[in-house]
Amino acid sequence: MKPRARWHPWAMLGPSLALLVVFFVVPVVLAAYQSLFAWDMLTPPEAVGADNYRALMARGELWRIVGRTLGFSAMVVVGAMSLGLALAILLNRRGRFFAFVRGAVFSAYVVSWVAVALLWTWMLDPDGGIVAALFRGVGLPRVGFLTDTRFVLPALAAVTVWKITGYAMIVFLSGLQSVPPQLLEAAALDGAGPFARFRYVTWPLLRPTAAFVATTSLIVSFQAFDVVRIMTQGGPANATTLFVYAIYEQVFLNLSVGKASALTVVFFVVLFALATAQLRAWRARGSGAS
Amino acid sequence: MVTAMAAAAAALWIAPYAWMVLTSLKTLPEIVQRPTALLPEHFDVGAYREVVESIPVARYMATTIAMAVLIATLQIALALPAGYALAKLRFVGKKTAFGLVLACLLVPAQVTFVPVFLMLAKVGLVNTMAALVLPFAVSALGIFLVRQALVSVPDEIIEAARLDGASEATIIYRILAPHLMPTLVSLFLVSFVFHYNDYFWPLVMTTDDTVRTLPLGVALLREQGTGVRWHIVMAANVILSVPVLALFALAQKQLVRAVGGR
Amino acid sequence: MLRRDLLRALAASIATSAALPACRRTRRTNGRTLVTLWFAYGGKNREVLLDLVRRFNASQSRVTVEATYQGDYFEALAKLRTAIAADAAPTFSHVVGEVVPYLARANVLEPLDAYDGARALPLVRALAQSGSYVGGAEQPLVAIPFNRSTPIMYLNGDVVARELGGKIPQTWTELESAAVQLTRRDGDVRWGFEVPISWWFWVAMVGQAGGRVVADDGTPTLGGAAGEKALRFWQKLVHEARVMRPPPGRDYNAWQATNQDFLAGRAAIVWTSTAFLRYLEENARFPVVAAPLPGDVKRSVPTGGTFFVVLRAAPSEEKQGAWEFLRWMCDADQTIDWATRTGYLPVSEPAIAKLDGNGWYAAHPNDRVAYAQLADADPWPWAPTLFRIQRDVIEPKLEEAILRNRDPHAVLDEARAEALAR
Repeated sequence: MKPRARWHPWAMLGPSLALLVVFFVVPVVLAAYQSLFAWDMLTPPEAVGADNYRALMARGELWRIVGRTLGFSAMVVVGAMSLGLALAILLNRRGRFFAFVRGAVFSAYVVSWVAVALLWTWMLDPDGGIVAALFRGVGLPRVGFLTDTRFVLPALAAVTVWKITGYAMIVFLSGLQSVPPQLLEAAALDGAGPFARFRYVTWPLLRPTAAFVATTSLIVSFQAFDVVRIMTQGGPANATTLFVYAIYEQVFLNLSVGKASALTVVFFVVLFALATAQLRAWRARGSGAS
Repeated sequence: MVTAMAAAAAALWIAPYAWMVLTSLKTLPEIVQRPTALLPEHFDVGAYREVVESIPVARYMATTIAMAVLIATLQIALALPAGYALAKLRFVGKKTAFGLVLACLLVPAQVTFVPVFLMLAKVGLVNTMAALVLPFAVSALGIFLVRQALVSVPDEIIEAARLDGASEATIIYRILAPHLMPTLVSLFLVSFVFHYNDYFWPLVMTTDDTVRTLPLGVALLREQGTGVRWHIVMAANVILSVPVLALFALAQKQLVRAVGGR
Repeated sequence: MLRRDLLRALAASIATSAALPACRRTRRTNGRTLVTLWFAYGGKNREVLLDLVRRFNASQSRVTVEATYQGDYFEALAKLRTAIAADAAPTFSHVVGEVVPYLARANVLEPLDAYDGARALPLVRALAQSGSYVGGAEQPLVAIPFNRSTPIMYLNGDVVARELGGKIPQTWTELESAAVQLTRRDGDVRWGFEVPISWWFWVAMVGQAGGRVVADDGTPTLGGAAGEKALRFWQKLVHEARVMRPPPGRDYNAWQATNQDFLAGRAAIVWTSTAFLRYLEENARFPVVAAPLPGDVKRSVPTGGTFFVVLRAAPSEEKQGAWEFLRWMCDADQTIDWATRTGYLPVSEPAIAKLDGNGWYAAHPNDRVAYAQLADADPWPWAPTLFRIQRDVIEPKLEEAILRNRDPHAVLDEARAEALAR
């Protein structure tokens, strides 16, 4: 539609764009600039050109960080979406009991990470934890979930999925409830079973919602920080040093703003590419609702 | 069958919260000697008393709620016109503007804090409510969501309102906003929860108690040096979680009742 | 060429603005000089510190100290640096020992030699700057000890009495056999030994095996053969004998996990910090026995904890006020108060003498053990890059060696190469 006045769109977007530029764009551009220096904020910065990037790539650390973060993200997105959808379907019923269960699932989303980390560290304890007891019950060997470099990342992913599922569930619930019941009734009358009804009626209408959950889960999981900070602090042997945590480590623990900035630039590029690709993929398969 | 699964889900997800509450009612020797014991030996509220005596809970909580409400409200207030412009109006530079919004979706606080801190320090705004709120007054996610939601609202509504002489502001805030209730409510909820629980940004932007937030206060009660007093930490976390759960209880009705498209 | 010149010019302009001394005015409140202290403790330590600050403020009328919490050690340090860069730094703060040489070289710390009474502070040498660093006495005095600690061994008194006949391991070999004896694998699992896989404890073992982590000229040798021996010892305990449980997490999380396991009776012998003595004694349902770390070729422990540092950029009146507080803190009464209430080591000699004299050490034998171990404390090198290689290079490599059971020689070679590349 045509705006009523030429300046309208800019008045509507102006404040938002201004704030975004000041608080997001400028810092990222500064990061790109600072990535060419070695700086610890105490002594004058030293121009090092592409050294920071080279140092990050030399020992393969950069690729490992990217790989870990992508792997973690994939697990979280798939997990949160499936579990969120499953729970939304299961709990999309009336009654106080179900309202309570929904609240219970959501409470994990709002409870602080400190409590979550504590509980899960105990539950994942290889000797006394519940999961270990289950493993013993089915004859599996002893696994150090948080000390074994092969299992620690999936363990963190599982805890993250568990925590954010509540949010995915709420969003899917909204989507499910906007499916007109008449369509479902008509399909039932036509002889479609519950699975077929879901596949042919619900899912197509749910696609935009699913795209939304997938994109936000991707962004959130790619920016995962608290779970690492509280549960494993990036270890063991850097197995859980995800992107944002790596940036944090460089600034806070190693006092290298230059390296942190280099990581930031790479992070930004990768995530941007991913998010665009994902959006495009969903839009191509979707019913054009966006 | 469904009830059984639902009950299992409830148990699995509410476990940490329940455990947090139970731990807050125990005494420290109990907790460390028998960490896996479920119930406290006696229900002891000493931990809560210690929390209230150690940190100014009411003050921190008031600051935190105020900050989170301000942020969420500002985000919605700014996202509505911005999303409207991007969804409904034709103008030069629209694609760039939208691209900019998308790009900002991806930038976490750990990346921006050094330059932003230096910027705010120059204008003397460090350690003020402005430092906590302004950087988040715009939510790229919010603009994105509002735009998505508005794209599927028929243009006729807007044209009719224009013919009636309504100003753009009225159209955005009085006519279109109600159509977006589910989106706005979810946005408010997510934003409130995120910023209310945020530890990192208030940590780096505040240097004393003037505008300290409760998550920082809770972290204050931990100690790395001489052993953690879990019951106090958990009691503080229980107190911390109350406003958010209350908000969720309110929002749940809104979210679940409102029938809306996305 | 042109771009490089441009970059250099820009760098220079940033440098100039960063190096300009802060023309901050002295802050005052109620006619007294206002001095700001940024600290990094939570919980009990914070309460004791705030109490001491209150008492100082009440005891004189020239200076008011305002102490604010700024996160944990790392967060507080990052905020300190950001604040220095923004000309908004506090008057003084406290930082971990390994970071002091780095900050000193960056020229942000106020030298304290010329301040009234600085030379004559009766500090415990092993805990003060002069004894904590090789050549520490030759450097300008920039650090005053605050909360200082060393690693120490804690044993479950009941278990040791019952199953080891009260015999406390004195050497690595004895520790190994004790751990084997005390490990229970069925039913109530109990591990013989637990220690956080952390730089601090590894350095202790390197010293005990006769090596040094950094050579005199500053090159990170990482202990050479001694470094490998230490790693092999741990590996043997974890993977072969299977009597040692490495706790999950890093830094203070791993330390807490170790404490939890000890208190819950799941680990019979642990190595952790002297700082936890009070916490463990108060919360264990068995007698806690403290013992010095076992020796190999010799005994050795590193020191840990933080030092007070005063920031050069603060106005001189504020710095003077901070100094008065620091001197007051080093008086016997305050040292005793801080140490006995928190469990950190007392940093002044008169304080030790007093505690001996009034029978406190007699009543708290574990504290005595902690103090006595200082005789074996080895200094850190005065190396500005020490803390960087510690976190970035060594710590992950230790984890790789122990948790993934990689060959210690290969791991340390890699670590050395990385450390030299920095």
